[in-house]
Amino acid sequence: MKKILISIALVSTLIVSCDKDYLNEPKPTSSVSTSVIFTSRDGVNSFISGILRASRLELNLDRLDTGGLPSLYFARTVKGNDLILGVQWYRFDYNNDNRDPTDKRTVFSWAFPYTMINELNILIKGINDSENLSATDKDESLSQALTLRAFYYFQLAMEFQHTYSYDASLPAPPIYTSPALEGKAMSTLTEMYTLILSDLNDAVEKGVDSRLDKSYINKNVTYGILARVNQVMGNWSAAEIAASKARIGYSLNASNYSNGFNNIEDEEWIWGIPQTVDQTITINTAPHSFTDNSNKIGYGEAFWNEDFVNRFSDTDVRNTFFDLFGLGDNSGSYKARASSKFKLTFDPDIPLMRSPEMLLIEAEAKARQDNDAEAATLLFSLQKNRDPKAVASGNSGTALIDEILVERRKELYGEIGVEWFDAKRLRKGITRTGNHRVKSPGNLLPDDKKFFLKVPQSEIDANDNIDESVNDDR
Amino acid sequence: MKTIFNLSLIAMLSMQLLSAQKTITGVITDETGVPLPGATVIELGTTNGVSSDFDGNYTIETGEEAALEYSFVGYSSQIIKDIDGDLQNVSLYPSNELDEVVVVAYGVQSKESIVGSIAVISDATIQAQQATTITQALQGSIPGVNIITSGGVPGTNPIIRIRGVGSINADSSPLIIVDGAPFNGNLNNIAQEQVESISVLKDASSTSLYGSRGANGVIIITTKSGTKRSKTQLTISSNYGVSTNASALHDLINVDDFTKYAWESSRNNEQYVNGLTPSAAGSKASMNLISELKYNPYGLSQPVNTSGELLVSPMWDTDWKKAIFSDNVTRKEHGVSINGGGEKTSFYFGSNYLKEEGQVKTTFFERIATRLKIDTEVNDFINAGLNVAYTTSKLNAPSQSGDGIQGAIQWLYSVPNFYPLYQRDGNGELILNSAGERIFDYGNNLTQLVNGSRSNGANENAVGAIDNYKFITNRTSTTMNGYLNVNILEQLKFRSDVFYERSSYDNFSYSDNNFGIAANVDGRVTQNRDFDTTLNLTQSLNYKTYFGLNSLNADIIFETLRYQIDELGASGIGFLTNVNVLNGSTRPEGVSGSNTEERLISLISRISYNYDKKYYLEASARRDGSTRFSEESRWGNFYSIGGSWIASEESFIKDIDFINYLKIKASYGELGNNRGIGYFPYLQLFETGFSQGENPGVLSSSPVDPLLTWEKTAMLNYGVEFGIFDGLLDGSVEIYDKESIDLIYDKPLAISTGNDFIKTNVGSLRNYGVEFSLRSTIIDKEDLTLNLGLNFSLDNNEISKLSQKEFINDNKKWEVGRSLYEFYIRESAGVDPNDGYLMWYKDLLDTNGEPTGERTMTKVYSEADRYYVGASSLPDIIGGFNTSVTYKNFDLNALFNFSFGSYVYDHSYARLMNTTDITGQRHADIANRWTKPGDVTDVPLLLNSQNYFGATSSRFLFKNDYIRLKALSIGYSFKESFTERLNVSRFRLYLQGDNIFTYQTHKGIDPEQDLSGATNNRSYQLKTFSLGVNVQF
Repeated sequence: MKKILISIALVSTLIVSCDKDYLNEPKPTSSVSTSVIFTSRDGVNSFISGILRASRLELNLDRLDTGGLPSLYFARTVKGNDLILGVQWYRFDYNNDNRDPTDKRTVFSWAFPYTMINELNILIKGINDSENLSATDKDESLSQALTLRAFYYFQLAMEFQHTYSYDASLPAPPIYTSPALEGKAMSTLTEMYTLILSDLNDAVEKGVDSRLDKSYINKNVTYGILARVNQVMGNWSAAEIAASKARIGYSLNASNYSNGFNNIEDEEWIWGIPQTVDQTITINTAPHSFTDNSNKIGYGEAFWNEDFVNRFSDTDVRNTFFDLFGLGDNSGSYKARASSKFKLTFDPDIPLMRSPEMLLIEAEAKARQDNDAEAATLLFSLQKNRDPKAVASGNSGTALIDEILVERRKELYGEIGVEWFDAKRLRKGITRTGNHRVKSPGNLLPDDKKFFLKVPQSEIDANDNIDESVNDDR
Repeated sequence: MKTIFNLSLIAMLSMQLLSAQKTITGVITDETGVPLPGATVIELGTTNGVSSDFDGNYTIETGEEAALEYSFVGYSSQIIKDIDGDLQNVSLYPSNELDEVVVVAYGVQSKESIVGSIAVISDATIQAQQATTITQALQGSIPGVNIITSGGVPGTNPIIRIRGVGSINADSSPLIIVDGAPFNGNLNNIAQEQVESISVLKDASSTSLYGSRGANGVIIITTKSGTKRSKTQLTISSNYGVSTNASALHDLINVDDFTKYAWESSRNNEQYVNGLTPSAAGSKASMNLISELKYNPYGLSQPVNTSGELLVSPMWDTDWKKAIFSDNVTRKEHGVSINGGGEKTSFYFGSNYLKEEGQVKTTFFERIATRLKIDTEVNDFINAGLNVAYTTSKLNAPSQSGDGIQGAIQWLYSVPNFYPLYQRDGNGELILNSAGERIFDYGNNLTQLVNGSRSNGANENAVGAIDNYKFITNRTSTTMNGYLNVNILEQLKFRSDVFYERSSYDNFSYSDNNFGIAANVDGRVTQNRDFDTTLNLTQSLNYKTYFGLNSLNADIIFETLRYQIDELGASGIGFLTNVNVLNGSTRPEGVSGSNTEERLISLISRISYNYDKKYYLEASARRDGSTRFSEESRWGNFYSIGGSWIASEESFIKDIDFINYLKIKASYGELGNNRGIGYFPYLQLFETGFSQGENPGVLSSSPVDPLLTWEKTAMLNYGVEFGIFDGLLDGSVEIYDKESIDLIYDKPLAISTGNDFIKTNVGSLRNYGVEFSLRSTIIDKEDLTLNLGLNFSLDNNEISKLSQKEFINDNKKWEVGRSLYEFYIRESAGVDPNDGYLMWYKDLLDTNGEPTGERTMTKVYSEADRYYVGASSLPDIIGGFNTSVTYKNFDLNALFNFSFGSYVYDHSYARLMNTTDITGQRHADIANRWTKPGDVTDVPLLLNSQNYFGATSSRFLFKNDYIRLKALSIGYSFKESFTERLNVSRFRLYLQGDNIFTYQTHKGIDPEQDLSGATNNRSYQLKTFSLGVNVQF
């Protein structure tokens, strides 16, 4: 009997000693809960930081040419006439043949902006629903979130349809303004640009000048994106105002041009992506890794069209071109001219928006509004800064506009796909010339369908509101 | 608790009633007259019982008309009625196989009494096969168990599935129990020679005691113990072998063919895509060839003329395979064990050393496994035991599966012989370092126009990676099982088990400071160290009684499980040459760390009953609470019921001469599954680790379903076991049907929502099939025996419910009525003889755009439709065949395993046949390509521009049947006259061959890939010839 009692006592003690909290004690340690994020400005800032960090992350495609925002821009760069790409990553973008529903570029250019938009929608909802944040904190955080959301919708609009001025009633990617689990139907370009403008205007209203560092959004960045959007839409007076406000506080400084474009502290940079030793994508970094031919760690296999190189005077600080292999002037080889504009270090910062771009948008907007004199003055202020021996052209009208467009290419080559952006918005097409590796098969006609991508198969497969017919006529 | 009181009350009363009516004494012996100490004598219908002493003597006081049952482990029990007088000597006979004691959930049972489906592999089988790992012993030996060894890295766990695949995203692997406690470590950390038996629990009635973890079957591994009152034995074993790949690699091409094909794909592009004339296209291809390939093994600036002919011979033709594979792959294993026991205590001690090399150079797995087990009787009602094991292993494994750029097989199948192993200058001459040595070519000299940089495998060299990098995983594991058993009454036992396991995992990788991927940061060291701790406590009460011919057994068990993972990682960069510890780092690069804990509480009960050992009934229930679900859905109830009928015990069948044994059984139960879904899948959280500069950053995790709940499986099992014609044919047939409901699945979401998936309960999955296991003793003479065995299963998988019409998952489409594993891909329609383009099928549409049911062909990949192509990656039939022969002192054992009816999608072959990238390695089958109009072939023209010839389609889907001779051993045991002189009791020499023969329908890969039927650049399994010796003192 004693034995029984001992055993029963043993068993019951064990059962009873396990109180009901036994199963409630374990908690996740590498993650934090929603309540931590949306109850303080620090919490919201950490979410914004995370979203900005994610803008350079690979998107599970396991490829070096899908490394976030930099690769979205570089894929545009290689589609033009100024850069010649060797047999390397991005080669099919270079061929202007990478747009089918199952192609990696298609999937990436769709999935990446939407991943960011979803995080931003969670952020926006969290801020709006928060009962702890002050009105000021809410406004300042919302202005960042809305700017970024508009920015990513703008990329989707550019990548997945003709330009706005072609036909704004055409289908555009679906619009989500709150976190969603169900796929939505396609929108239209009109709806999309309406949302983009409303987000940006809202952000301008709520925004401030200060920010944590130049990778975050302040009023300058919001104005800069507003300028680009209006530039595409052809709203020239709005573009002019936005561009001029965007560059306030960011003067020109030619002396940094030859420093390798890898330092966000450059006073011309309005917005960029900073990298540090412990937060770097090194060899995935576009454009540095793919254009720096003198470095043993990257994939530098980019060269520059002799026709483009010939536009630069010897005294232009932007003339970074050289004959890497000593092939001579008339070799005809596509490898004849390399550039030292981008220097790949272990943790190069990446430029996203610089003041000269804003200056040129402002100049173009003035010229489009027949204010040639001011436009020419602005243009020459940049030319003179870059080349002490520069002489004003005296152009006006269309010639002035063309000169501004060429100046955009000369100033921004390799950075944000400016040549493709201009050809698309101005419905011009791109003709390959000079010593290109792939010439006419890579040409883009005006309003060419190759200016946009098809809708990814994986979207069609999982979205009940979009079927295969979405790609008819694409 | 009240029940237990009542039961004990009855027990005490009955003891008083039965006092001193008659005393019977006697000796219990085995069939040869040797006394059996510790044999049990029980008076039937009472709880009265005693044990025999060391000399087999027993004394029992019984009622006047008593019937006594005599039993001993491993022997058939015997019932004697109407005993005359007071002396009764008894001889017990060893039980035949059907009476084996089988390790089951939380205990042991006689094989007869099992109502469910349990298959056992004994020590004898493991020995006979000379299995080199525990899982190898299972493959081909048990029907319904599908084992896939993915890749040739020694010491890695294979994929194990029991009775189909019962889950999509949650873990479908069986629960592994070692000596009573759940095992979280690497199975290869257990030395197979220290294993006594492996039980595979397949149906609900046998696994339901594991409740929430039993749905995918359970494998119970029991290690060896000593035997009380036995002579101390010392056993020494040793084995040495050499290995090569068991299946041949894909046929690759040489440098000349590569160069010509590259020229041709470039020419075709100019001619057929860009529209140049044939001669202009040819000369352009000749002109551009070297600038596109960037290297030149020929010295000449245009080594191929305008009609595609090579003009000179090459300076190199790199044999990557020879450079990557070791030509001397060895395997050695040595073991020693001592076991024995005295009056009260028994012990087992074993130690085992294994070193197994892999085929990719520098790959090896080295392990030392030691185990000590002691069992002792504290007094006449308490016994206790301790089982301690310590294992340490080291694995060095350069990347050899997956798409990683320096992966050995990936490299072999993507970088052609055209690119040199060592650095060359622009003229093709070797570049030497200051010491006059050759330097691996990493293809990253961007400033050298020719032979400087390649796009294929840029910044890498797989051979250099093997030489200059380190990839070491150290594992150690300490486990302790302690138990205390209190026989409260003859019928009532209390047992307490404590299991503690602490294992450490230390992964170290070093990338060189001068070469390769980390050269730009002067080398990198990454070290990750995890500690896993398991604490498992089990308290159980067992009650066992007999009345008349009835016997009843009941258990109540309370169990808690706590599992903790403590992770720490660090990486640093900036090293001097030959310095590769983190202390030598000049710049720290990253640190990480986390703690995770999971808990489980369970209350378990089981009751089993039999009448006259003819009719058996068993029922069990378990309630589990798991921290993996929210408080609302945390608790799950699981149960099972089963019964069996030993028909051969009925008089009307006993009279049938040729039937020796016949048993019919059935069971049903419901089980759960909570594994493989993460530790907090129900919480929507923000993940840390996304800092931007100095500012901490978080990102929202995937969306969650807060009400996510247990995946449950309902399982039905019927079976018949039989033995006819005295051993000529023994076997069993079982039919199972299991349905998993509330399947946990990463349901794909439209990517425009910004989410890939949500983990939720989506539908139901049915697995059903039939299993056969047949054995035959054909010859059984003193000098010659011949046994044959065959087992196989036919398994089916079917989606029975889905929350939406269909999901597309990679190259499969899931819909109700289909299996998870049916390929849904574009179907190749062959090559158009006119232009050499590959064609695919698409639906023919009517005027309304609806499919007419007919098909047409297209050359535009994105227009082609996807179809079920009548192929599944699950085999129709899997199984094994074994034979054992002994002749005098010789023995021979052979085991084949086979799989028929599955298909594999060969990504490696697809890559080797894809010419879009002209710098890639090619398969020899490219020789059959289309070259001119009118060519009828299934290989399209070579084309160096974006094309989809290599894109996913039925073109690369192959039938993957195979038969493999897994194990063949021939042994010789020396005669006693010889061994006696050496003072040993047993001396056996043997020759062993593993995987020495493989028949396969699709060549070039190892037929064992993965469940979804996808190759992944895995290294190959090895074929090993070895010589071994076993000596017992």
